[in-house]
Amino acid sequence: MIKSLNQAFCILPGVGSKTAQRFIYYLLEHNREGGLALAKALTGAMEQVKHCGICRTLSEATACEICDNDKRDDSQLCIVETPADIHAIEQSGIYKGKYFVLGGYLSPIDGIGVAELGLDELNKMLSKQKIAEIILATNATAEGEVTAHYISNIAKQFDVQITRIAHGIPIGGELEYADINTIAHALSGRKNYD
Amino acid sequence: MIRAELIPAFLIHRRAFKNNSLLLDFLTKAHGKICLVGKGIRSSKTNIQMFQQLNISFSGRTNLKTLTHWEVNDQPRNMTGETLILAMYVNELIARLLSEQDPHPKLFNIYQQFVNKIVAIDKQTSYWLLRLFEHNLLAELGYALDCSQDIKQHNIDTNSHYEYQHQLGFVRNPAGKISGKLIGQLLLGSVDNMPDLEQLRNCRDLNRQRLNHLLGDKPLKSRELFFSKQ
Ligand SMILES: [Zn+2]
Repeated sequence: MIKSLNQAFCILPGVGSKTAQRFIYYLLEHNREGGLALAKALTGAMEQVKHCGICRTLSEATACEICDNDKRDDSQLCIVETPADIHAIEQSGIYKGKYFVLGGYLSPIDGIGVAELGLDELNKMLSKQKIAEIILATNATAEGEVTAHYISNIAKQFDVQITRIAHGIPIGGELEYADINTIAHALSGRKNYD
Repeated sequence: MIRAELIPAFLIHRRAFKNNSLLLDFLTKAHGKICLVGKGIRSSKTNIQMFQQLNISFSGRTNLKTLTHWEVNDQPRNMTGETLILAMYVNELIARLLSEQDPHPKLFNIYQQFVNKIVAIDKQTSYWLLRLFEHNLLAELGYALDCSQDIKQHNIDTNSHYEYQHQLGFVRNPAGKISGKLIGQLLLGSVDNMPDLEQLRNCRDLNRQRLNHLLGDKPLKSRELFFSKQ
């Protein structure tokens, strides 16, 4: 039983057999109550958390809190790779629109293409709903860029403004320590200063 | 134990691996295609990029080798849009067709020329560059196509037409789609000496036929990303 629990813990990122053993001894010797609560919470979440039927983020309800919120701006749609990206953007508190989660990026070598990312769903969404602006917030990697380009091609069929999040020098960062790709990007994406 | 110090390489593919690490496929001059673990590289401040020549160091045993150091040894290349899709397609070809640690030093140079040129040319020329890359890649993998003679060992006549017979070569046929001129242009291999649109399409079909034989049942996924008809 302990052995299979050890293997179960090892599926977590960054957890090896030794760390798993520490968890197990702690729970069995010092906190059985907490252990049971963890097991219950985990079972509940694994069985009940699904994907939002609208934006595809993780959600217990058919529509997630953001999609269900009337105060959020329906005319802005921010496209991200993962639910964790939504969390990061939400923490900034600056964005009041809605989201669409791709669940990854276009990666032909791994067999991840148009269908796998739900781009057909996005297409349907754009044709049904009146959206004024699409914000492409995929990562600043070659794959993220290809994904952004492909989505922009889909969006061009509709009357919608297409924007891409800016990439550049990190806030509080010094130019001297930025890598050349970042500097090149920051320079080509420079803005008027006023 | 295998170890390499600062060897020229291009990153051709990455995927998430464990917590903060990446599995990275490189095309190197000395070792061909090689897969390395980049430990903790996902959260590092400088990001490892594709389409840029790097110098990499690695060490490890047969199975899981680790990237120990890397640095950029190239200019930044602004690859976007269709150009980026073409370049990703080339990476998929390399990932699919090269065996691990099978050195192809010439292919490294061909790839280097490809990424240098593709950012500096117009769309139609970039398709021709792609066709030349496929042609050279096939030759490097041991599937060279004789573009100087037909299968009867007659010189290719630039005023005639030909059809391609799989693994044999070109057969002269007035009703064939492939012009002798195109075959001559493939032989010459110059980006500046480009076929017309119709022959460019015939060249695409020719290369596709040659590649499909090697790719088997699993089609290239990046082909579905091409919006415009090449
Ligand atoms: Zn939602």
